[in-house]
Amino acid sequence: MKEKREKQKYRIISVISLAAFILIWELLTDVLHLLPEKKLPSPATIIETFLYKLTNTNPDGSVLGIHILTSLKESILGFCIGVGLGVPLGICMAWFEKFDMFFKPLFDLIKPIPPVGWVPVMLMAFGLGIMSKVTVIVIAAIVPAIINSYSGIKQMNPVHKWVAQTFGASNGQILRTIAIPTAGPMIFAGIRVSLNASWVTLVAAELVASTKGLGYMIQMGRMVGRIDLVFMGVLVIGGFGALFSALLGMAEKKIVKGGR
Amino acid sequence: MGAVIKTKKTQTVLMGTLGILVFLAVWQIAVLVTRFGTIFPTPFEVLSGMAKAVVEPIGKTTLLGHVGISLSRVLVGYILSSIAGALVGLVMGASKLGKAVLNPIFNIIKPIPGIAWIPLAILWFGTGNTTIYFIIFVGGFAQMVMNTMAGAENVSQELIGVARVLGLKKNRIFLTIVLPSCVPYIFSGLQVSLSTSWMAVLAAEMITATSGCGWLILSGMQSGNMVNNVMGMISIGIVGLVLASFMRIMERRLCSWKERGQ
Repeated sequence: MKEKREKQKYRIISVISLAAFILIWELLTDVLHLLPEKKLPSPATIIETFLYKLTNTNPDGSVLGIHILTSLKESILGFCIGVGLGVPLGICMAWFEKFDMFFKPLFDLIKPIPPVGWVPVMLMAFGLGIMSKVTVIVIAAIVPAIINSYSGIKQMNPVHKWVAQTFGASNGQILRTIAIPTAGPMIFAGIRVSLNASWVTLVAAELVASTKGLGYMIQMGRMVGRIDLVFMGVLVIGGFGALFSALLGMAEKKIVKGGR
Repeated sequence: MGAVIKTKKTQTVLMGTLGILVFLAVWQIAVLVTRFGTIFPTPFEVLSGMAKAVVEPIGKTTLLGHVGISLSRVLVGYILSSIAGALVGLVMGASKLGKAVLNPIFNIIKPIPGIAWIPLAILWFGTGNTTIYFIIFVGGFAQMVMNTMAGAENVSQELIGVARVLGLKKNRIFLTIVLPSCVPYIFSGLQVSLSTSWMAVLAAEMITATSGCGWLILSGMQSGNMVNNVMGMISIGIVGLVLASFMRIMERRLCSWKERGQ
């Protein structure tokens, strides 16, 4: 009972803190004008810009919905391809020794290059369109997927394998029924990192060169000096990032057995 | 037994080299045969370009100079964000009140990728080094806070209870129990945030700088000189690898008890 009341107390403090934060922000900008509007837009202005941008194409040529859709399409497509390739590849690398020997050094060479570094190469290869972004995101998503599925499979308890072998399970059966379920939580942790990396990389790719998307919107906002638009875009990007990780957390709880 | 291990080792080396050779061969053939070749250099052109760039300047300085500039930028932003992140994380992890006050605001900032701050930072600080430092700072900050906070929250309550029974003061408990048990968490935060920092510096340099590895890559693209571009990527990869290995060695040294426990 006491614990519950304490929890409630802290929740109230949290709400007050957030409200105070926004209130002070509003006071500093709109009411007292202590900070110039050009450097820090007020919360009210940001909400206004958000509502305005829902239906208006100024100054970058698309409404907010189109930017969001473009970014979502690119990042989800790249993420799905990257994870779809990366997880099986990681499992194969961990399961088949020859495969591992062949790919490991190559993978170790490519792994430390930040995905952002690939943006110019892919721009040269595929131009400004959707392909260049998707390929960069595939690279961003594939690396954590491979690393985690690899170490997840390697974590398998050898005793389980021996028992299965003693009872005459085939290699494929061991992989399907023991190794992959054991690796489940690790693989999911990898997918989570992949998703995060996809979103970050997408924003970077759109900042460098694109004609649509959230990253492009904030870049244009900067070029025309509309800091309210930039602020709003940054918050929307953060909001979708939070939404993704919440959705994935829910999926993880449903699919993965055991684990955390 | 020894012979078995030896043949396995040679096999690993052989297969690994084969893998890299196949990759280089595919690259070479792709450049020679397909449309890819009109824009992309062969591996040999890149290698000779790298050798040349070590002595001849590209833009403001040589290849090593660009790497050094990027590294120094990362260092400034990274050190600042690590200190600030660890402090905020400690406050949020060790004090329930601190967490209640700071968490809602932190939750707004947390999911925003460091790179998304670039346009804002340019509007705030112009296009100088301050912007790049700021981007690196926000890039690593959230990771650092979350890891340190997890460390401070996972302190063994029994240890704290014992210390209380034995009459230790609150600040002594913090210094002798909470802080040491956070160290491994802080270290994993330091590792993650170093690689995010290295990525953030690239993106920031691509957009606002006139020197550094990120600039090398982007200017290579803009001037159609893809040798510079690929060179930049290779040096970034190498530096990233060196940084990560360095952190792992440091961790082994400084948190030996944790490593052994795993």
